[in-house]
Amino acid sequence: MTALAIDMTGISKAFGPVKALEGADLKVAYGTIHGLVGANGAGKSTIIKVLAGILTPDAGTILIDGRRVAKPTPASVEALGVHFIHQERLLVPTATVAEAVFLNHEIRFGPFLDGRAMARRAEALIERYFDLRLPAGTLVRDLTTAQQKIVQITRALARKAGVLVLDEPTAALVRREVDSLFRVLRRLRDDGIAVVFISHYMQEILDLCDEVTVMRNGTDVGRVDPKEAGIDAIVGMMIDSGVGEMYPRRHHAVGAPVLEVQGLTLKGAFCDVSLTVHAGEVVGLTGLLGSGVKELIECLFGLDRADGGSIRIDGVEVRLDAPNRAVGAGVGMVPEDRRAHGVAIGLSVRENASLASLARYSRNGFVARGRENAAVDGLIRDLSIKTPHRDALVRNLSGGNQQKVALAKWLGCQSRVYVLDEPTVAVDVGAKVEIYALLNRLAAEGAAILFLSSDLLELTGFCDRVLVVYRGGLNGAFDAAAVDGDTLLAAASGTRSETRGIPE
Amino acid sequence: MATNAFRRLDTGRLSTLAVVGAFALLVAFFALAAPSFLTAGNLYNLLVNNVVLLAVVALGMTLVIASGGIDLSVGVSVDMASMVFIMLLAAGYAAPLAVLAGLGAALLVGSLNAALITRLRISPFLATLGVLFIGQSVQRLSTGGGQPIYLVRAEFAPTFDAIARSSLLGVPTPVIVLVLCLAAVYLVLHRTVFGRQVAAIGAKPGVAWYSGIRVPFQLAKVYVGAAFLCGIAGILLSSTVKSYVPMSGNAFLLDAIGATFIGTTISRERRPGVLGTLLGVALLAVVKNGLLLVGWNFYWQQVGIGVLVFLVLAVSFGLHRRD
Repeated sequence: MTALAIDMTGISKAFGPVKALEGADLKVAYGTIHGLVGANGAGKSTIIKVLAGILTPDAGTILIDGRRVAKPTPASVEALGVHFIHQERLLVPTATVAEAVFLNHEIRFGPFLDGRAMARRAEALIERYFDLRLPAGTLVRDLTTAQQKIVQITRALARKAGVLVLDEPTAALVRREVDSLFRVLRRLRDDGIAVVFISHYMQEILDLCDEVTVMRNGTDVGRVDPKEAGIDAIVGMMIDSGVGEMYPRRHHAVGAPVLEVQGLTLKGAFCDVSLTVHAGEVVGLTGLLGSGVKELIECLFGLDRADGGSIRIDGVEVRLDAPNRAVGAGVGMVPEDRRAHGVAIGLSVRENASLASLARYSRNGFVARGRENAAVDGLIRDLSIKTPHRDALVRNLSGGNQQKVALAKWLGCQSRVYVLDEPTVAVDVGAKVEIYALLNRLAAEGAAILFLSSDLLELTGFCDRVLVVYRGGLNGAFDAAAVDGDTLLAAASGTRSETRGIPE
Repeated sequence: MATNAFRRLDTGRLSTLAVVGAFALLVAFFALAAPSFLTAGNLYNLLVNNVVLLAVVALGMTLVIASGGIDLSVGVSVDMASMVFIMLLAAGYAAPLAVLAGLGAALLVGSLNAALITRLRISPFLATLGVLFIGQSVQRLSTGGGQPIYLVRAEFAPTFDAIARSSLLGVPTPVIVLVLCLAAVYLVLHRTVFGRQVAAIGAKPGVAWYSGIRVPFQLAKVYVGAAFLCGIAGILLSSTVKSYVPMSGNAFLLDAIGATFIGTTISRERRPGVLGTLLGVALLAVVKNGLLLVGWNFYWQQVGIGVLVFLVLAVSFGLHRRD
């Protein structure tokens, strides 16, 4: 019997009083794609960091390729053929593809670098696994996100990887790129490589993985075949006690129009877009990259100035030509790039949560700390933001909790319109359900919610209506309950155009 | 027990202790090594001549660094205020008018910085570097290539003495000015909505913008405010030395940056703050004055300050790495 690629047993790791891992196992065989799922804080990233040699475990044994590794270090683990594709693109932007692939293990000819051999080998590897002709002289910064991911994977292949660990590899990719990444991962599996795949997208786990390890509260609670077990069972294992449904229902009636957009136009992005979001309504918005959907919601928050059309909020015409105007008019936004635009990770939960609503807690320009503290404590409680205290840095919070802080910012303002740009990306399932429930509460209180997403399940499962943008115009408005993902995708890619069942 | 207590202290407080401890050690050392160090005369000289001017400039620098920028043109603001003030006095204008015009000149420098940074979107480093070059040329052109202007005639003495040598209830006027500036910047930076927004801009401008903060407008206020503080320092400087020496304000630039960054080490999040900057200024002033008293060569003083900055930052980094 051949040894397991990775055989971790009884791994424990505590940070002070917090037990991040308690007797967790991770066993991955060669020639399989192994999913690793769990809510944030379940210990997924901790066990991967232990495997990578970044963290030293308090207890447990680690065998890689059947060999006992007493004290893993990043170098020793890599020497054993375990490679990590991290979420962040850790590539030198000014390097060429060949340089990036062979960084630190360059092919030499005598004392000299053999540039031509490296270029040939890099191109051959990329062509073999990705069916892609990528000139080895291209600079990394000129590559798309997907191509950079390819370079990272090629880097591991060039070093004869036995195990490939991918942390949320699809987060920044479009559908077509995801499909081709999956083809490559399957090919690697068929070559006998062990692939560990960490993802928050259940559909991807179901499509791709041969086996899944589910983690909860620092330990593994199940190792199952996802096709046999099904999504619901896996999600059920991940969250503590059946939270119930993934997409909680709304039980309130939809009210008067809150956001009314008439003939909005931004040259070069979108043209003559009209839409209405009512009080208590969650309207999904989707479109492919370059469809103009991104620019549309940016206009609604004043990040870009529309060339024509009108926007009304609660019946009053507003000019949204800068974010401060939009905030003043009652619009709040949760941007897609959380770390660049959503929350300042170097500031505390309190400073982030009150940032947009400071005027409410101030007198004559001075911040009234008592009132601010009370308001922030209220938000932390209401949103169940998991933070040691209100003055903890946002840096130390999990992704889901950071996103809750980004939302909390607007709750303090009592915004009327919420413009959400992929609010559940890189948020674990548990926090996702909490965010959905929170949005439902906001809607019940009469807020209008515009929800941009490329997760089709989320659009059909959570929203009331879904609007699809194609080439700068609305190409369909659908009743979310009566539409399926394929129809939305067809509308987004322009192969289908219709409006169905929408009382306007 | 001891290690437990040590662990319980968070690193912010530990850094503060380290910097305050270093300060106390230095004072004790100089008190022993130079008997004249702790005399009333020297402490007065230390406070009025070394601390006040640098502290006022460093307060401006603190505002700018808190907003995520840097101001290389603080010296120009100091000099322009000083130059206009002295030139108007020499031309026979009334003292209050000369003071106001001097402060106005500094505000102009600040407005130029603000326009370059917020309108033309030049990075603060390059914008203020450009203003530094321009400001130095303006001074050379206005003074026949950099000739100092001395106002030693007796008619000017009352004006200068009223500003630099007077006192209120025994407190020298420059110290009162410093205390007022300290209080004002402390309140603005640490207690107002504006100060909070400046900190947010400094931490992540994108988040500030996406939170509806008028980033360019607030940044403009930061650079104009910093220049105004430098203008105050310029008036005090000219009144103390009864002259305008072109380009003398640049002496404050590096010390102000150094003091601000030494100051960040006492904050848990390593943010610039008024109290930290004050401590940084005091540390630099004590080292300079003390080394002078123990008879170190002027050039070796710079080495002393360099070593001090390294030590403070190294200790602070070491402490922060424990997290």
